[in-house]
Amino acid sequence: MKIIVLNCGSSSIKYQLVDMPAKDVVAKGVVEKIGLKGSFIKHSKTGAEQVKLEGEILDHQQGIEYLLGILTSEKHGSIKKLEEIDAVGHRVVHGAEEFSGSVLITDEVVGALERSSELAPLHNPPNLKGIYAMQALLPEIKQVGVFDTAFHQTMPEHVFLYAIPYVLYEKYKIRRYGFHGTSHKFVSARGCEMLNVDINNQKIITCHLGNGSSVAAIKDGKSYDTSMGMTPTEGLVMGTRTGDIDPGALLYIADKEEISIKYTQTLINKFSGLMGISGVSSDMREIEDAANDGHQRAQTALEMFAYRVKKYIGSYAAAMGGVDTIIFTGGIGENDTETRKRVLNGLEFLGIELDESKLNIRGKETELTLPASKVKVLVVPTDEEMMIAKDTFEIVG
Amino acid sequence: MNQLSEFSLGKALQSKGSIHCVGIVGCGTVGQEITLLVAKSGIEVVFVDVSSERLQEINTALGDHLDDEIRHWGMTGSEKRLVLSRIKGTTDIKDLGGCDIVIEAISSRQRGTMIELRKDLFEKIEEVVSDDTIISSQLSTLMISDLAVSLKKPERSIGLHFIDPIGKTQIVEVVRGEKSSDQAYETVSRFCGMLKKRVINVNESPGNISTRMIIPFINEACELFVEGVASIQDIDTTMKEASGHHIGPFELADRIGLDKILKYMDNLYNEFAERKYKAPPIIKRLVRAGFLGRRTGKGFYNYEDGKATSNAIEFVINKK
Repeated sequence: MKIIVLNCGSSSIKYQLVDMPAKDVVAKGVVEKIGLKGSFIKHSKTGAEQVKLEGEILDHQQGIEYLLGILTSEKHGSIKKLEEIDAVGHRVVHGAEEFSGSVLITDEVVGALERSSELAPLHNPPNLKGIYAMQALLPEIKQVGVFDTAFHQTMPEHVFLYAIPYVLYEKYKIRRYGFHGTSHKFVSARGCEMLNVDINNQKIITCHLGNGSSVAAIKDGKSYDTSMGMTPTEGLVMGTRTGDIDPGALLYIADKEEISIKYTQTLINKFSGLMGISGVSSDMREIEDAANDGHQRAQTALEMFAYRVKKYIGSYAAAMGGVDTIIFTGGIGENDTETRKRVLNGLEFLGIELDESKLNIRGKETELTLPASKVKVLVVPTDEEMMIAKDTFEIVG
Repeated sequence: MNQLSEFSLGKALQSKGSIHCVGIVGCGTVGQEITLLVAKSGIEVVFVDVSSERLQEINTALGDHLDDEIRHWGMTGSEKRLVLSRIKGTTDIKDLGGCDIVIEAISSRQRGTMIELRKDLFEKIEEVVSDDTIISSQLSTLMISDLAVSLKKPERSIGLHFIDPIGKTQIVEVVRGEKSSDQAYETVSRFCGMLKKRVINVNESPGNISTRMIIPFINEACELFVEGVASIQDIDTTMKEASGHHIGPFELADRIGLDKILKYMDNLYNEFAERKYKAPPIIKRLVRAGFLGRRTGKGFYNYEDGKATSNAIEFVINKK
């Protein structure tokens, strides 16, 4: 069964054509700058060089039309006709409380997604555009929505509520939802496969560390808590996002700087985090270079990042009554050995015995602890697209 | 070259009447604000002004405006670069050739309507744009039909009124002239949607809704003050509290600019010959004294760093 996975952003579409259940990635690519000047598609099929094709792409529908055209073309294609595609799997960022798992997309589902767009105004509308476009281009094809928030719907009420008047939760569904769910679910399951343990009796802390970062506490295979909240701004220090901050400080800043809600949103999402502290960059590699050159604020930014991750690991170990496995994933988690070391430094008390010979391994599945270590630490590269393909296959197949 | 066209499946519904490029003719304060609004929405802008020195001034002003937003945490440096990369200034009106919509926005600070100049511009714009380009004007008190007479295809003309402060207000008055086509209306409505502004549909009338309501409001406030009924501050405060306005009539007049207000009053009075639009001597006096409002740091109030600090008018009235 061939499944196309679509991850539609505001002006981009990432895509993969996956053969299931073999999990073979037949082709993949990205449509960039939709509706903007200089739009293009970067496409690569297995065993061939990547090609970049430029041209005007007015909207998501046209972008999807072109990528389907490329997939079925003689020149760069991997299939002969569109009918060979059996299903579409969409990444959908916010499923609110209505979706606790992946679903077949129906008119009712689309209606619910349109309603939940209020909670994720930057993310859900482009996700919906991808769904509408596929409906228009291939009306008969089955589409599946895989939600970033779904995995965290198992969080208990005392974990997901904010301590605000309950009526606001009832009226507006203001609560913690959590994100990166597909990744946390994938790496926790894969980690258990690597260790050959049953996920249903494990206490796992997954650290998805990238430009956006979150930590999840996964108890018996279910998300118990996660660091992101109603929006992806809560929790860890991120590239340009504050993570946790006293709401009183925000109100004070808005008052002192005389800025609107909109500008305050920009401040906490685009000017803060590693970028705001270091003043150097939001890119961890550049901050590390600056820190190595003696840049004091870059060093502080690195310490803050690691400290916040460590604090969450500690609190989640306490929340779950212990921890069996800690997993690192995401661009930083998989590749940045120094950040991992900073996070793990001092956590020996949990029962972690690191294998020094493995600490510098990057980008591949690795067990960083010695066989005798009571708590295991793993690196598991995430593969959200494959997870979306897998869920789609299970629902459609 | 469109390398992608050979991969078209012929199925996608091409977005008809897509808006990729907008021309702004006359890039004073209002033209600059429209330019930034459009460019921030992901649309290319070509602005036309009179000289290369002026283009340089405008480019500097646009950059300064965005820097101010950065200082107030409204956008990042890379977003600024992206916005500016979409803006091109020119002195050659032929550069409007690729625009989907052209908006005439020449200065509205001089007294009189400058209608002949605007008509001449409309004619010149039509000569260089394609057949389906919409030709519009930023209209406060003028009538789009009066400008459209100079066009071979007057059905392509439609009025727009971006309301100050242009970047913040949520609406645009879209003014249908006598001959404005439904297609022109639909295109500018879609354009306003891209700018995330709600369309207020207006049937042509000088002053539209906003200016026509604002002018008597300011006029009455001036009368109250001149009659000695209350101070400027108290009139502003009362209207804010009593009417739920976030800004009082004198603050509003200063924000718009008293020279502009005077011009609107003249134009509306010429059209309707009603006293409620007639410019009061106090505004004429302030304009003559160069007290034009926030822009010059003095109007009904004194301003420091954009904030009203005291009442300026005593000086103009009582000076020996």
